[in-house]
Amino acid sequence: MNIILKAILAVYNFFVGDLVILLGVTLLMVILALIHFLGALATLRGGSGAILIVGVLVTLVATLGREVMRPKNRQKA
Amino acid sequence: MQWAIVIAAFLASAVEFVEAFTLVLVARITSNWRSAIVGALAAVATLAVIVATLGVALVTLIPLNVLRFVIGFLLLLFGLKWLKNAIQRYSGLKFLHDEEAIYAANIAQARARGEPVNTGLAPFGVLLSYKSVLLEGLEVAFIVLSFGGSGANGIGLAALGAAAAGVLVIGVGVMVQSPLKQIPENTLKFIVGIMLTTFGTFWSGESFGINWPFSDLFLLLLAAFYLVASALLITAITRRKPRVARASTTSQATMLSQEKEVRL
Repeated sequence: MNIILKAILAVYNFFVGDLVILLGVTLLMVILALIHFLGALATLRGGSGAILIVGVLVTLVATLGREVMRPKNRQKA
Repeated sequence: MQWAIVIAAFLASAVEFVEAFTLVLVARITSNWRSAIVGALAAVATLAVIVATLGVALVTLIPLNVLRFVIGFLLLLFGLKWLKNAIQRYSGLKFLHDEEAIYAANIAQARARGEPVNTGLAPFGVLLSYKSVLLEGLEVAFIVLSFGGSGANGIGLAALGAAAAGVLVIGVGVMVQSPLKQIPENTLKFIVGIMLTTFGTFWSGESFGINWPFSDLFLLLLAAFYLVASALLITAITRRKPRVARASTTSQATMLSQEKEVRL
């Protein structure tokens, strides 16, 4: 494997190692940024705290859900 | 908030120190004490340089709001990773961390290399000890750096927590001279996961101008919320497992009967 690819993979594994968590948290930050910077979404600003907390929880549920649905875990159960 | 930073750094460091200590012990058994200690000290020095240089650069060069966003983002990634692993271990989806088994496996691997034991500096022992302490400590170093975003001497407080954990784990480890299997690693990881996720949510929210109710006190409410949610998730996964088993047994039975029908 290319050494640059190996380095990127090592950094990814060090910080997250889970694509669902990475995508979930990134998406959440993008949504918050849109709410914060777009005037059209200004009405949602009051609820952005709740959106953040629920988003974190949804990410956790999604990544755990993926683990539960993995074939090896189904067999283990 | 300051005591929470010290506790979070203490617990996270304690877990990593336990894991690093096991591997330093392997270096001691397969080489000698001198090599293990030299490797570990070199790694600690490297980590100190990383924290000192990056820490100062982060706090002095980057605006607080940007710093809080980056740190909140990183803490959320770290926190959710730790929390996910701890929940998986509690609900039986993953095996519990077994320091004794890791110790035995590493001893066997190191002895298979067949390097003779001597009292001088053994390159393999130094390297094993250095690599182990550096890799385990790097995550702690980033957690300590992340707390620098809290403003009021965050790095100093987090470093204090980490140093206290180091003294405690190394002190106990030197006394017993065996892998520290009695330490409830998963419970520590679970608590740290909750704390990192809480701080991550709080700081990333603040970077987007969210004014949390009750100010810093909201951290406690948030931690309690994540704790209850995680407990519910553990219960749900543990309860779901037999149902998944039944479903897979039923589908297997259906497949077998279909096969029979085809054969017939």
